Amino acid sequence: MTGDIACHGCDLLVNVATLKDGESASCPRCGSFLTRVRSDAFSRVLAYAFAGVILLILANSFPFLSFAASGLESVITLRQTPRAIWDYDMPAVALMVAAFIIVIPSAILGMLLMLCIPLQQGRYRPWLVTTAKWIFLAQNWAMVEVFIIGVIVSLVKIAAMATIVLGISFWAYAGFAICFTLALANLDRYQCWERIEALESA
Amino acid sequence: MPEIVPEIVPEIASEIVPATTPESAPATTAASQGLSACHVCCKLAPAEVHHCPRCGSAMHLRKNDSIQRTLALLVTACLLYIPANLFPIMITDQLGSSEGSTIMGGVLLLIHHDALPVALVIFVFSVMVPSGKLMSMFYLVWTVKRHSPVSPRQRTIMYRVTEFVGKWSMVDVFVVAILVALVHLGGLLAIRPGIAALSFAGVVIVTMIAAESFDPRLIWDAMEKTEEKNSDN
Repeated sequence: MTGDIACHGCDLLVNVATLKDGESASCPRCGSFLTRVRSDAFSRVLAYAFAGVILLILANSFPFLSFAASGLESVITLRQTPRAIWDYDMPAVALMVAAFIIVIPSAILGMLLMLCIPLQQGRYRPWLVTTAKWIFLAQNWAMVEVFIIGVIVSLVKIAAMATIVLGISFWAYAGFAICFTLALANLDRYQCWERIEALESA
Repeated sequence: MPEIVPEIVPEIASEIVPATTPESAPATTAASQGLSACHVCCKLAPAEVHHCPRCGSAMHLRKNDSIQRTLALLVTACLLYIPANLFPIMITDQLGSSEGSTIMGGVLLLIHHDALPVALVIFVFSVMVPSGKLMSMFYLVWTVKRHSPVSPRQRTIMYRVTEFVGKWSMVDVFVVAILVALVHLGGLLAIRPGIAALSFAGVVIVTMIAAESFDPRLIWDAMEKTEEKNSDN
């Protein structure tokens, strides 16, 4: 049963052992994506993840947005976004927002580095299995790209009321969102686990 | 790139599943071979194994009580959806007077201000996606419950789309979060979150969990059962 994969969509057994570099496989019965072979996949993930870390640090060090009307100005940083809702007695919403836009994405980014550096170098590390498990469990709950759309929509909503300035942090976060999405897109679930298993048994 | 043609050993070759069309020969599923696949790492293991030999996650042939759980979560989401639409999602305090706006009210206001593209974005993500998601999940649960043979491939795609668009409904909650943080200019102008922000975030999260607890393989299991019945007759 080497090279067999059970489709997530319909449970069909498909053999993907004959896939060559650059090829991808979809389920012949239901069309769900199965896996893609890329010899440089881990280097790609690492490149995007490193860029993501730098941009995330930038995004946390500068003003995010500023809003000025009638001589008054208010400036917010990324971290203040969930804080304001917390102050209005909605801790549940504040925690969700903080988790989806900052905590979970940063955690995933850190775990991607912990996972892909050893995988790329071909060395076994005891934390590989746990890290990979958490990445795949948490990846649906990172909403960086959704947040970017949210920022754009809210700017259009209040553009008529006042002058809005996009801070350095906003552009850094937008770049981070792109790198983050690309890093996760290059991490193939099946190939990643096959590599971990190969290293574990070696 | 050097072309390396892999030698296929006959024993392995016999295991290769041909790209059959759904209607032709009976398909070899993992379940029919007594194998279950790990949700987290795709590892195949005998169905009687309860923990994945590779990553240690709990393993099941099919997700546990998938239909009941999904249905319960969908009903919860429907109940939360009512206050999410009736109550204001944010309240604007301007020069002593306060005005609340609901999700639909916000869309209408944007149309009134000629901001059509943004109105469309909000309408799609906050009105069409959550209600469409609820309806399609109810439809999927209903067809699986009835063992319906209707186009399993299309229903699987429907499930994939539902799963994918799930988190995009959070846009409106993020908009409220940003506006609340950004717009507070003393007593002149301030925006507060309304109770609908909480219930709407609840709708989004509960429907995401509902989509995760639904098992699309049940769509195909039902079809295989009807096929067996037909061949028996």
